[in-house]
Amino acid sequence: MRQRNAVRRGRSALATAGVWLVLGVVLVYILGPLVFMVTASLMPAMEVTRIPYRWIPQGFHWQNYWQAIRGNDGRFFFVRNMVNSLFVATTITLSTVVLSTITGYGLAKFRFRGRKAVMLLIVATMMIPFQVVMIPLYIITTSLGMQNSYAGLIVPFLVNAFGVFLMRQYLLTFPDDILDAARIDGASEVQILWRVVFPSSWPAIATLAILTFRSQWDNLIWPLLIAQSREMQTIPIYITLFAEEKFTDEGAMMATAVLASLPMVLLFFGLSRYFVGGAQLFSAQKG
Amino acid sequence: MRRRRARRGICERRGRWGWAFVLPSLVFFGLFSIYPVLNALYLSFFQKHLLSSAAPRFIGFGNYQYLFQSPTFWNSLKVTGIFTGGTFAMLVGLSLVLALFISSRKRFQRFLQLAFFSPAVVSTVVAAAIWLLIFDPRGIANQLVNTFAGTPGVDHRWLVAPGMLQFATMLVYVWKYVGYFTIIFIAGISSIPRSLIEAARVDGASVWQTFWKVTFPLLKPTTLLVSVVAMIQCLRTFSTQYLFSQAGSPRGPIDVITLNVYHTAVRTFQIGRASALSIILFAIMLFLSWLQFRVARSEEVSYL
Repeated sequence: MRQRNAVRRGRSALATAGVWLVLGVVLVYILGPLVFMVTASLMPAMEVTRIPYRWIPQGFHWQNYWQAIRGNDGRFFFVRNMVNSLFVATTITLSTVVLSTITGYGLAKFRFRGRKAVMLLIVATMMIPFQVVMIPLYIITTSLGMQNSYAGLIVPFLVNAFGVFLMRQYLLTFPDDILDAARIDGASEVQILWRVVFPSSWPAIATLAILTFRSQWDNLIWPLLIAQSREMQTIPIYITLFAEEKFTDEGAMMATAVLASLPMVLLFFGLSRYFVGGAQLFSAQKG
Repeated sequence: MRRRRARRGICERRGRWGWAFVLPSLVFFGLFSIYPVLNALYLSFFQKHLLSSAAPRFIGFGNYQYLFQSPTFWNSLKVTGIFTGGTFAMLVGLSLVLALFISSRKRFQRFLQLAFFSPAVVSTVVAAAIWLLIFDPRGIANQLVNTFAGTPGVDHRWLVAPGMLQFATMLVYVWKYVGYFTIIFIAGISSIPRSLIEAARVDGASVWQTFWKVTFPLLKPTTLLVSVVAMIQCLRTFSTQYLFSQAGSPRGPIDVITLNVYHTAVRTFQIGRASALSIILFAIMLFLSWLQFRVARSEEVSYL
């Protein structure tokens, strides 16, 4: 008996070691490139491509960051493009959060004729990939003269179906009693929305905000189409242009990557507490 | 009687509020999703040059016919299939294993979750830029392979040889998204009643049996969600392939449909043809999602 226990214990220790080994290998795969980005951003180009790669930089080559901001042509488009990205992503996030909450609330808590049809339409919209609507959108926006403008970058994304769906799912679980109590107290529907629904939807709103901001921060294909002038381009395009000239300076390219990641990193760690809860919410609603 | 009418009045008034709340988004979806889809479908039947002011010429299924005869299209389809299949399998498999391993650990759970999720925080373009340097002939990928294979100084042509290039883009994508799906799986696993798993263990089931007979079937809804999202995500890939090809890699092996749409529309200005391509992409996505839901529906999950 004791022997069997020992065997079992030995086997489970082996299994534990195996699990940690797999987790460790994957962890290196996941974190390695990020460490590479940060360390390479502090190295002169010569050192980035040294064989073997030196994971600890010799010194801090801060010039890379200056180079990233200055740009290869010395015209500081980085600053302008960063501002563009921040402005576009923030505006879209705000409008998505507000519109999704309003619409989701309307769908979750009101009975009206055509509600099912509206819901179906919105779910159907979720299935449309951007690449399909991209060309017609491009024709529409250019014919409205919105090329190379903030309007052109922002308007097509003011709200998205996934956001509406997420907020609806969340608000379905919202207790009706609270809403009725507010109604009895004489609050108007708009007041209820503003004073009751918004403040108590924080976890869902934070999740939606992160997801929206991230997808906009990531958006490459639409700005490529709509913003040809360098003044109106966004950070993803800036990085792409840097990468096309990559053999000039790898260190500076990584410095650009680090700088471009900062807003997302700050936002994510600022709101991560809500986000994990949000992931749970996301999985609870399933398909 | 009067009371009932009064009550119906309230309901109707409230219903009107419902409409008011829904309307702004509805108008938006109409203008920026529904209309463009129909428009894309419409455009796909015309020959139209982006820069010419000439009226589009109706050619029926001409664009589709052209596509079905063009080797570039078939190449795109094949490339998209390889990328989606490979990435999808790696993503779902790896994230499931990671989620199981992480949820079985008591220590470092939160750290592991955050660490695996961290690549999702950097943008896709940044991810592609990092890996571009890793796959450089003098980069870490070659160094690593050469160290383990004992082949010093060999260049494995990550960004040039077709197979390697395809594999390289998959690695970038898996790296970027595996943590995201892991977190969703972890949430799914934590929603399974612990008592069920413990009961199975007490009844003498091995870890392996417990997984296949209890955990995995109960994870169906989560697996389905992850599959649909992952597959659609893979089919939509663009940035990685775009950046790699801009940085000098051959386009052929990574010319996924989205990249092809972009090139057809923006570089050769064939709007009708690009629309037809995007409609085909849409049809593929719809079919695959439908298929997944059907497969899932055939086996409903219950905790009994």
